[in-house]
Amino acid sequence: MIVARNLVKTFPMPAGPVRALRGVSLSIDAAEYLAIRGPSGCGKSTLLHILGCVDPPSSGSLSFDGRAVESLSDVERSLVRLRSIGFVFQRFFLLPMLTAAENIEVPQAEAGLAREQRRRRTAELLEYVGLSHRAEHRPSQLSGGEAQRVAVARALANRPRLLLADEPTGELDRATGDQIATLLDRVHADGTALVVVTHDGAIAERAQRTLMMRDGVVTAETRLERET
Amino acid sequence: MCVRRAIPLLIAAATCLSSMFVCADAARDIPAVLVSRQLFVSEKMSVGDVVTIAADGAGTNAHRFRVVGSYEPVPDPMRLGVVRREMRMHLPDLLAMSADPRDPLAMETVDAINIAAIGKKSRDRIGDKQDAAASEAFAKNLAARIPGVYARPTAVSDDRTSPFVVLERFHLAIAIVTVVASSIFLLALMLMLVDERRSTVGILRLIGYRRRRILEYVVVEGLIIAAAGAAIGVVIAGLFQGGVNRFFQWRYDTALVFVRITPGIAFRSVAMAVPLGVLAALASSWTLLRREVFALTRR
Amino acid sequence: MIGRAFVFAGRNLLRQPGRASVGIFGIAAVGALLFDMLLLSRGLVVSFRDLLDGIGFDVRVVASDAAPRSGPRLSDAENLTRQIAGLPQVDEAVTVRMVDATVDEPRSHWTIGFELTAIDPARRRPWTIMAGADLSIDSGQGILLNARLADALHARPGDSIKVRVSCIADRAALAPATFRVAGIAEFPFDDERWLSAAAWTHGVLGACGGGSSVPADMIMIASREGYGADGAVAAIRRIRPGLRPATNEEIVARMQQQGFTYFRQISTVLSTITMLFGFLLITVLLTVSVNQRLGEIATLRALGFSRARLAADIFWQSVLLVGTGGVLALPLGYLLAQWLDRILKAMPQIPASMHFFVFEPRALVVHGALLVMTAIVAAVYPMRLVSALPISATLRNEVVG
Repeated sequence: MIVARNLVKTFPMPAGPVRALRGVSLSIDAAEYLAIRGPSGCGKSTLLHILGCVDPPSSGSLSFDGRAVESLSDVERSLVRLRSIGFVFQRFFLLPMLTAAENIEVPQAEAGLAREQRRRRTAELLEYVGLSHRAEHRPSQLSGGEAQRVAVARALANRPRLLLADEPTGELDRATGDQIATLLDRVHADGTALVVVTHDGAIAERAQRTLMMRDGVVTAETRLERET
Repeated sequence: MCVRRAIPLLIAAATCLSSMFVCADAARDIPAVLVSRQLFVSEKMSVGDVVTIAADGAGTNAHRFRVVGSYEPVPDPMRLGVVRREMRMHLPDLLAMSADPRDPLAMETVDAINIAAIGKKSRDRIGDKQDAAASEAFAKNLAARIPGVYARPTAVSDDRTSPFVVLERFHLAIAIVTVVASSIFLLALMLMLVDERRSTVGILRLIGYRRRRILEYVVVEGLIIAAAGAAIGVVIAGLFQGGVNRFFQWRYDTALVFVRITPGIAFRSVAMAVPLGVLAALASSWTLLRREVFALTRR
Repeated sequence: MIGRAFVFAGRNLLRQPGRASVGIFGIAAVGALLFDMLLLSRGLVVSFRDLLDGIGFDVRVVASDAAPRSGPRLSDAENLTRQIAGLPQVDEAVTVRMVDATVDEPRSHWTIGFELTAIDPARRRPWTIMAGADLSIDSGQGILLNARLADALHARPGDSIKVRVSCIADRAALAPATFRVAGIAEFPFDDERWLSAAAWTHGVLGACGGGSSVPADMIMIASREGYGADGAVAAIRRIRPGLRPATNEEIVARMQQQGFTYFRQISTVLSTITMLFGFLLITVLLTVSVNQRLGEIATLRALGFSRARLAADIFWQSVLLVGTGGVLALPLGYLLAQWLDRILKAMPQIPASMHFFVFEPRALVVHGALLVMTAIVAAVYPMRLVSALPISATLRNEVVG
């Protein structure tokens, strides 16, 4: 599904350029669960943003479903993110003036779904994340775990083939983080490819493959054998 | 032989010289007139020109006058836009030109008599500060002594319908509206400023600051912003006034001063702006200060 | 997309009701002033034109550019008027003389001075009868008083008053002439305090002992249908090249250049300032709002919202703020105009029937267009901020911050 070759990302800074990625190559298959780990500043989030077509690489190539991402216009990249990729962030980033249900409807409305379709899908997703009873609550009225579950539901709104999560449990306690991890397992089990950037070993253990990064390069790759 | 040739030359020179003296004498007999700058320029006059002037369009009783110079007319705000084509001459000359010969009193009739009073004690001309009351008293005395005469001091009277009083009220009304709009703008800025400080205020309250202490900070900040803003505004107005005056003086070809920032105006501007700024700061901080601490610090 | 963006923009405004309200009221205040300045820019012209046209005469002949009674007068006016009235382009021509007159008030014996207009008998009457009857063609000593003069003299229609008339600047004490008050009239050029009256020329000239040699202040002319005012003016200039006939339009244009110029200037200056103010207010509000929502905007971009979509959100916020404020500005502007008009009408020599602020549909159109322009220009910078927002860096900063 995703093929990345020799990705380099350099950020120009006043004190001198910072090379966040120094040549990363990887591929992600459909329905694969990949964890990316490493110390702070190793380039994990940068890699995630490039894979999610949010940020273009300084050099290297990236293809999504066979299409070269660098040849896409900004509008086309937005459409890819809207229809094929879902994002979950450490800080949830829910829209504060909207209810939980309305937050989930936002990407569907942008994708042009009719109102009835959106309502059905939203109800389905709220049920999926176990928050049907909180549909009309605003983010400020939700706990951290509930807000993150709404964020996961929003990321799944347009049935993306790939879900990218950047430190999804970073602001949650252990118990709540486990709940989110379990939810992500379920998302993966239902056929969505998953790439999770995390410090949390418990999440990384659930992934099929883990990439270790340091100083902008992949230093190790492990595959977890699951008992069948 | 040289003498014989010189004689015609001498005669010619003498004739010329005597003509000049005759011309000069004739010129001196022609009464003088001062012409406004606008008329001087538009009619392409020069000093020394002799012009013929009549009091009516038919040219009746036209008289010749010698242009002795041009003057800048006293600016008159009520005649803005009017090109000041006017002249000044001695009164007897004007009367001689304009008086109706059928009217025996015409040569004795004028529109007004300007009086400059002289102080009794000092022979000095009475200054503005002293003579307002004295002028009024003199005017009343004069009107009483000469029935049918209307005498009044030249200082602007408190006539509500005087054009300048009306315009002043109009300007004041406009100023009130702009102050209201500016206050709203100020309130908007303060609301945004306060909103950005929400978490900071929350943290301070968490640490233990009392509402009153934070209120003091808010008031002082509002005071500084308002005072600085007002002062900068006065400076900008002062810088602009030259340009505004120059532009309108060019536009209307007048020496009138349109804008003048006086110390009194500057003081009034600052005196109005500072309380408004403080009020805006207080109004915008009100809800913030009333909220509970955790409401300020949560996401 | 427009509908979605519009709804989204509305919700974004509603989440900060205080800020949105302040923005709307700010626009309403400056919008009201802008609207009034647009009314003022042409108010006097429109009002003055209506006044001139309402009298029924569309051409005036005067001796110079000066206002009546302040410059040279027309000599041999009777012959001149006859000559002009004989032109095929002219329907009616009347001589107008404005003279000083006095009456001794019967009870207090105060001498009351007023302006008496002597006008030739004509079909068109430059006054409106409020009480009593109009002057009949053959009433030599009939007089019409304005309401203020009638009150001052305690005179009613049918009463006789003794009037001393001064036609030329003579000082001879003439015997007063008796006039019969035919009616109370409203004279269009009277200001709120003026005392004035009108009577036929022969009655007034007879009262002041002057004959037709008394110069006239003005000749008022009504053009004949089919020729128009311009045709009448051209015909008059042909027979009398030295005269200064002017159509109502030309008089209005002259007043606009001279008498009304201050108000046009102030209207332009204040219109510019109000638009600048509105632009600054909305730009600042939207820019600060964007800066406070950077994480949110970056998230929406990450979710798949395009630059154009989010820029449209900002644009519609600007339109909503300015549009709502602009609509509120109209009733506010109307009330403000009433107040300002009352202040300015106190100016001396402004006819009571003239107004400084006159509503014209085009003022509404111009007002709307200016506000739309303000909304668009005010949104440009915040829209640029949104479009140029680096998604990754912003998301990173939001986490770190």
